[in-house]
Amino acid sequence: MKKNDRLEIRIAGFGGQGVVTIGRILGEAFSLYAGKNSVNTQSYGPESRGGACKSEVVVSDGEIHYPNVRKADILVALSQVALDTYLSGLKEGGILLLDPGSVKDVKNQGKYRVYSVPCMELAYELGGVRYQNSVALGALYGLISHMIEESSLLKAISDNVPRNTLEINKEAFKRGMSYDKEKIPKGRE
Amino acid sequence: MIKKKYPKAVNKVSWASCLLKPGRHYLQGNEACIEGALVAGCRVYAGYPITPATEAMEAASRRFPEVGGRFIQMEDEIGSACVLIGASWGGAKALTVTSSPGFSLMQEAISIAIISETPMVIIDIQRPGPGQGYITASQEDVMQARWGHHGEGPIIALAPSSVQEMFEVTIEAFNLSERWRTPVLVMAEETVAHMRESVVIPPLEAIEIINRKKPQDLGISPEAYCPWGHAVVAPMANWGEGYNVNFVGLVHLEDGNVTRYSPEMNRHCIERLQKKIEVDANSTGCLETKFLEDCSHLMVCYGVVSRTAMEAVAEARESRGLKIGYIRLRRLWPFPEKQLRDIVCDVDTVFVPEMNLGMMKHPITEALRDRCRRIVSIPSIGVLHSPDYILSEVYKDI
Amino acid sequence: MLKYLKAEGLMGSRLPTILCPGCGGGQVLNYTLQAVDRLIAKDDIRKEDFLFISGVGCSSRITSHYLNFDSAWTIHGRALAVATGALLANPAFRVIVFTGDGDLAAIGGNHFIHACRRNINVTILCMNNGLYGMTGGQLAPTTEKGVVTTTTPYGNPEKSFDLCKLSETAGAPYVARWTTAHPRQIVRSVMKGIRKKGTAFIEVLSQCPVHKKMSPVAMLKMLKENTIPIGNQSQSGEGKIPVGEFLDIEMPEWNDSYENIVKAARKEDCGLHE
Repeated sequence: MKKNDRLEIRIAGFGGQGVVTIGRILGEAFSLYAGKNSVNTQSYGPESRGGACKSEVVVSDGEIHYPNVRKADILVALSQVALDTYLSGLKEGGILLLDPGSVKDVKNQGKYRVYSVPCMELAYELGGVRYQNSVALGALYGLISHMIEESSLLKAISDNVPRNTLEINKEAFKRGMSYDKEKIPKGRE
Repeated sequence: MIKKKYPKAVNKVSWASCLLKPGRHYLQGNEACIEGALVAGCRVYAGYPITPATEAMEAASRRFPEVGGRFIQMEDEIGSACVLIGASWGGAKALTVTSSPGFSLMQEAISIAIISETPMVIIDIQRPGPGQGYITASQEDVMQARWGHHGEGPIIALAPSSVQEMFEVTIEAFNLSERWRTPVLVMAEETVAHMRESVVIPPLEAIEIINRKKPQDLGISPEAYCPWGHAVVAPMANWGEGYNVNFVGLVHLEDGNVTRYSPEMNRHCIERLQKKIEVDANSTGCLETKFLEDCSHLMVCYGVVSRTAMEAVAEARESRGLKIGYIRLRRLWPFPEKQLRDIVCDVDTVFVPEMNLGMMKHPITEALRDRCRRIVSIPSIGVLHSPDYILSEVYKDI
Repeated sequence: MLKYLKAEGLMGSRLPTILCPGCGGGQVLNYTLQAVDRLIAKDDIRKEDFLFISGVGCSSRITSHYLNFDSAWTIHGRALAVATGALLANPAFRVIVFTGDGDLAAIGGNHFIHACRRNINVTILCMNNGLYGMTGGQLAPTTEKGVVTTTTPYGNPEKSFDLCKLSETAGAPYVARWTTAHPRQIVRSVMKGIRKKGTAFIEVLSQCPVHKKMSPVAMLKMLKENTIPIGNQSQSGEGKIPVGEFLDIEMPEWNDSYENIVKAARKEDCGLHE
């Protein structure tokens, strides 16, 4: 990555899915443990649950001026509404990470590189939907592993989850990470 | 027994020590200003919950007791601002962080803090208005910062543009308030308050902390003490030190006498304050500039909008070869008119992007009217300008 | 008590005070200073620790202009908020708040009930003359129903506060009411209030001869005759205002409670400005 190049990641879903947490953990991992600069912003509706929610992370080796995403390199869509709202903000050839459990309809799929990881389903297998953001982070890791080490993300996760759920969250991360490797759906590369 | 519950959102480093250790931290803007206040020696916080400043208050409620300070959630913002006055005169540095509707409520207290020359810091995390407004970003209070309090009376207002600056500018605000015996405002926006970025904290020995001068330091006895005399910035005796200080909110003679009112005394008192801030405190070092050497146009900006502006300026220069310079106002008030005029000779267009319909464009116009062909406002309401938006406005006319 | 008054500032005379002849404010100042004087002698409290704070109004004027103590003449209704701040900075202050019925119970009402609720360490002297004196005699929240004032020319349609009941309900541990015709009782109450850990509320029914258009002596007589000490069995209390000490209990004071929080939360000394 050139010095002032920016990696722009947008995560979107509805309130309660951990969208804000994912952004925060990513930002912290890059800033504190991967030696990069990162800015994490978010916006949401007033409802605690259910309203539209987005979180953004901009990463760079150089100084970051504009703090928001201009044209996303990666879009993580955890709900259909999130996808519909933000797909046009993903650059052509950009990476779309989606949860097929909630995102069914992707227009113009061919323009993007689509990875499908059922974060909610995997989280339920582990004990609850609250682990879906760690699953999503694991899935995301495969897409950014050239810029950051697994240990950095895991450290950031452990900073931000209750101590007694750390092991489950680490397992959720691993499931998200390995799902991506094993099961990339045909025709979606 | 006090049960300690560690909320997930807090960077765990801040729990491990009293002041954040020197080095790299990852903080939210709202958290960074609290850490800056603690480094500056602030030990009293009073506030009222209001989005988007509430995280600052919650951080204060955790951190102030950790360093042996005091925190209180008051019944309203008026009470919070008055607590700052009482705490300051009681000898402590005091802070509140609020948002625009709360800022409106504090204006009377700011007014009395100006006339009584009370050091204190108010951080306004601006949100759009008028009325209840919404909880997104805005720069709609920048004029209120200067003119919102009733009566004559100057004030210092700073504008941070990053989480690092939320930390640094808060320290600077305390230093200015102590040095010049004045309330100081930090005009931030929701964007920077809620944003998370890395903050580098230098070794504490490297950070300059200024404390108010006291008459004891200057060998002035209680009998000889004039609470508003002795120097351009009067040494400040605090309550409880045997100086029998009569704090007043009225124009006064140097010894605090308010019973011998006259229009001449009134004017003298006001002009003394005016000079103290508008002339003596109106220092250099409040502008950040780039690309001025050969510019034919200028972008003048402040706060978080300056980050978008910088992105736009860099792109315009690189992709279109547009010779556009960049000036960021780190301090809004006293307005750095002289400093601006000193560095701007002759340009074609001055662009002023603001998250309001055009407020600082007025003093900028006053300052640069004869140094440019025209001033163009680039407003945005409720949302941070995108680089594409600023560029489209710039390219429109050029 | 003259030793406690600033007769002369460096810039000239401050006395005589601006209070109207016969105003009850001067009496309250006198009785308060007597109480302070005795406490400085008896309890060995330092003069430097006393802090007088007031808001705005006739009663608030007896503070900053004239006192040879640390004092603050603040903004209308906000004396208690400023007092809260002073105590946060230095819990050792002995704070006396001079206020009036309008300053305390109208614009200052919110801070009044929360100060009592928190039980901050202040002694409140509320000079209640049932109207807004400084601005010319308007309605106050303590004006009785039917009374004619400059803003109720047809008689007051509203009922009035009982400030003592308000204070007690809000949580103050010491509540008393006297009149300016009860000098010794006021001195004793102020001494008790300053000694009390927490909010001591002392309402003093006070005369405003100018706006009530009566002579001060007649008003003092009226105050004495229209009030009855609580527990007085010898006369009928019909139609009379009860005076006396309504409440005198011990409660944890705000700063003391907060001290426990600081003790539990405090990390190792960071040394920078302590």
